[in-house]
Amino acid sequence: MSNFSFISDTEWRCGCCNKELQPSKVNVEYMGSVFNVELMACPACGFVLVPEKLALGKMLEVEQLLEDK
Amino acid sequence: MDQPQLRTLEATCIQEESPQCSAACPIHIDVRAFMGCLAKEDWRGARRVLDRTMPFADIVGRICDEPCRIACKRAEIGDPLAVGSLERFCVSTVPMVLKQPKLPAKGGSVAVIGSGLSAMTAALDLARKGRNVVMMTGDEEVGGSLRGYAEEILPARVLSGAVETLDSYGVNIQFGCSLNKEFFDIVRQDSDAVFFDRDCAGLAALSIDCTHPDPLTLAVGNDGCFAGGGTTENGFSIMKQVEDGRRASLSIERYLQKVSLTAQREREGSCQTRLHTVTIGIEPLKEVLPADPAAGFTKQEAAREASRCIQCECKECVKQCAFLQEFTDYPKRVARKIYNNQAIVQGTRTANKMINSCMLCGQCTVICPHDFPMAEVCRTTRENMVAKSTMPPSAHEFALQDMEFSLGEFSAMARHQPGLDSSRYLFYPGCQLAGSAPETVEQTYLHLTRHLDGGVGLMLGCCGIPAQWSGRQELFGQTMQTFQTEVRKLGDPLIITACSSCYAVFKEFAPELEVQSLWQILDKGELPEQKTAPPQQLLTIHDPCTVRHEPEIRASVRSILKKIGIATAEQPYSGELTDCCGYGGLMQFANVPLGEKASRAKGLRSDLDGLAYCAMCRDNLAASGRRIAHLLDYLFPAGGQEDPLLRPNPGFSGRHENRARLKQHLLTTLWQEEPTMPPEYKDIKLFIDAQVMVLMNKRHILEDDLQKVIFQAEQSGRRLIDPENGHFLASFKPVRVTYWVEYQPDKQGFVIHNAYSHRMILPGDVK
Ligand code: SF4
Ligand code: SF4
Ligand code: SF4
Ligand SMILES: [Zn+2]
Repeated sequence: MSNFSFISDTEWRCGCCNKELQPSKVNVEYMGSVFNVELMACPACGFVLVPEKLALGKMLEVEQLLEDK
Repeated sequence: MDQPQLRTLEATCIQEESPQCSAACPIHIDVRAFMGCLAKEDWRGARRVLDRTMPFADIVGRICDEPCRIACKRAEIGDPLAVGSLERFCVSTVPMVLKQPKLPAKGGSVAVIGSGLSAMTAALDLARKGRNVVMMTGDEEVGGSLRGYAEEILPARVLSGAVETLDSYGVNIQFGCSLNKEFFDIVRQDSDAVFFDRDCAGLAALSIDCTHPDPLTLAVGNDGCFAGGGTTENGFSIMKQVEDGRRASLSIERYLQKVSLTAQREREGSCQTRLHTVTIGIEPLKEVLPADPAAGFTKQEAAREASRCIQCECKECVKQCAFLQEFTDYPKRVARKIYNNQAIVQGTRTANKMINSCMLCGQCTVICPHDFPMAEVCRTTRENMVAKSTMPPSAHEFALQDMEFSLGEFSAMARHQPGLDSSRYLFYPGCQLAGSAPETVEQTYLHLTRHLDGGVGLMLGCCGIPAQWSGRQELFGQTMQTFQTEVRKLGDPLIITACSSCYAVFKEFAPELEVQSLWQILDKGELPEQKTAPPQQLLTIHDPCTVRHEPEIRASVRSILKKIGIATAEQPYSGELTDCCGYGGLMQFANVPLGEKASRAKGLRSDLDGLAYCAMCRDNLAASGRRIAHLLDYLFPAGGQEDPLLRPNPGFSGRHENRARLKQHLLTTLWQEEPTMPPEYKDIKLFIDAQVMVLMNKRHILEDDLQKVIFQAEQSGRRLIDPENGHFLASFKPVRVTYWVEYQPDKQGFVIHNAYSHRMILPGDVK
């Protein structure tokens, strides 16, 4: 998952800042492993979007892999 | 699990033992594989099976006297397999497929006296192993007594083909030798070991007594002479010739290598097998006979006859267990995988999921002829994983949090009967019944208080079995201790459990406490006045797996059913053999799809509508689509409930909320106490349609989680918005899991459109 990009156009806008989400590099972490990934986030406040497909797809896969390590 | 433990376990499961046929075969031909190949018309495959083990297959395959046939399992239910005729079919239609390689020469010279089948076999086996072999015979041809066969059974060209075969492995054949004492003295001097084939005319002249070889080693004397073959009190057996030739060659190998002639030879020759194969329910098909007996089998006939082979194996436990079927393995292999899994220091532990998928229900142990303790193996392995911090956190967390909630301030309580300050009894409905049917819990409790003397206290909580199942020994120990302290405070009343898991836990881990099941109490005492009419149709009883070893509880349940006029029919997998509904061992949490399969499988044991007396079985089977009621539904029906068989599965959220509501309700109505105030976020009202609810159940997301997310998002304003439809998307991480909710404000609350979660931690995760 390291250095992966999961950016894709989205209808979601930041409700706080009323901004369109932009690709943004963030560190995500699980079981002591840190990955730098590109996700859609609010350019003003940094609210990161994890879409359902990612949460139940690639992310779940990596989580389970790390749990079995 | 250490090596010796693994060995013991492996020896307990006999699935890998030989089938009866190959055990009975003196040279252990893999008859089962042979039949398997023929049945699928893999003729060359069948020939390869013979070539692997049978010397001179072209000869022996034609005349084998099939000692395995009487041992064939099919004989128990009809005709055994026609092994001999099928071998004959095979070798006369398919030429050799596999020529065994000759190993590099390694010295040691062996004389083989005689040229019958045992001499041929010994010479061939020893030459293959690289020994220098001279075969000496007074005859002019090989075969000994085999030359007496009619041409149409054993053609002369096939028999003499053996000479070429022996040649090709470098056996030096000397025909026309005069067998006398001088000849023998020279042979003895020139060779390190000698084998005498007793199917040979002139042996008597050799001044050595070959009549009584040692049955295990075939040694005559102790100076490297061996003898076998020929006619015995049982007559002249083809396979005896082959067996003796092979046994002698193995003895000579040992003799030449100067190792023990006798150690570990029990499995040579016909032997016993521990393989256990059940033939009940197998159709007793008649033997297929060749339409033209002289011509033997046609291909179709051979395939048909071979397909009668039942491919003997055990797997009796696997046939019934959804878990073992899912991982397509039998306990011996499961044990090996577990052993390997825990030996992994760095790398992926691929068996974790499997270890957490056993329902720990003990059905296999009852079925297994050797009581394989699969549940104990999996449970102790989980304990080890927890101790070594290799247990995947996601496997049991949801269930353990549910347990924590059941034991927490919003659901748990312990009180004497209202108005009394001591208890002779203590009703313990258990977390799942409280979650599934709270009104029924109340009714049952009131009934007990009315009919039992000396005060009936009430305790709501959880027995801690989820901790025990998930290998959390410390947590389980604490839970048991707290429970025991509470019981002591109430003056050690007799505990009445409605749940058989609680009953099992208290009995095993708090043996000094007095425990009885609600069913025993109700059966002995007074039953309520009936408010629900018994169903018109027959019901089948689904015993929970935790009463497998509790015949008295099972009998009480049946007795109550009779008294209240519910007609039931037993199904074969009940009682001691009953299945787990998928909750056992927390399997349905660690492996959601398998949990669904297991509950479906339990429900499908009978076509009839069901009756359960475990709340979890009831709810899981209801979720799987079965019409099923809980016994208490008929005894203490909840208001407004129509047909108990149609009561829906409350799901995880429903159970969670029910427990909290039950405590609040009982405290205020029966004890006139102020309820514990729920936290502020509980005021959030949700509207969730059935589809989203199903999704949330599968994803282990509770309404409680959604309330927390929305509460936090609405307070902080941190949420995404879709301008198209006005939906909001917000996330929150109460403990370790981040929940996402897509929702829409409504006049009275919030409509939920979707919910999902992940465990990966984001930088800004709101805690
Ligand atoms: S049924 Fe097949 S596997 Fe079983 S004993 Fe007979 S030949 Fe062997
Ligand atoms: S789920 Fe039950 S029957 Fe299956 S292996 Fe585990 S303990 Fe045995
Ligand atoms: S019942 Fe199962 S565990 Fe027992 S011997 Fe057969 S395959 Fe092995
Ligand atoms: Zn923002």
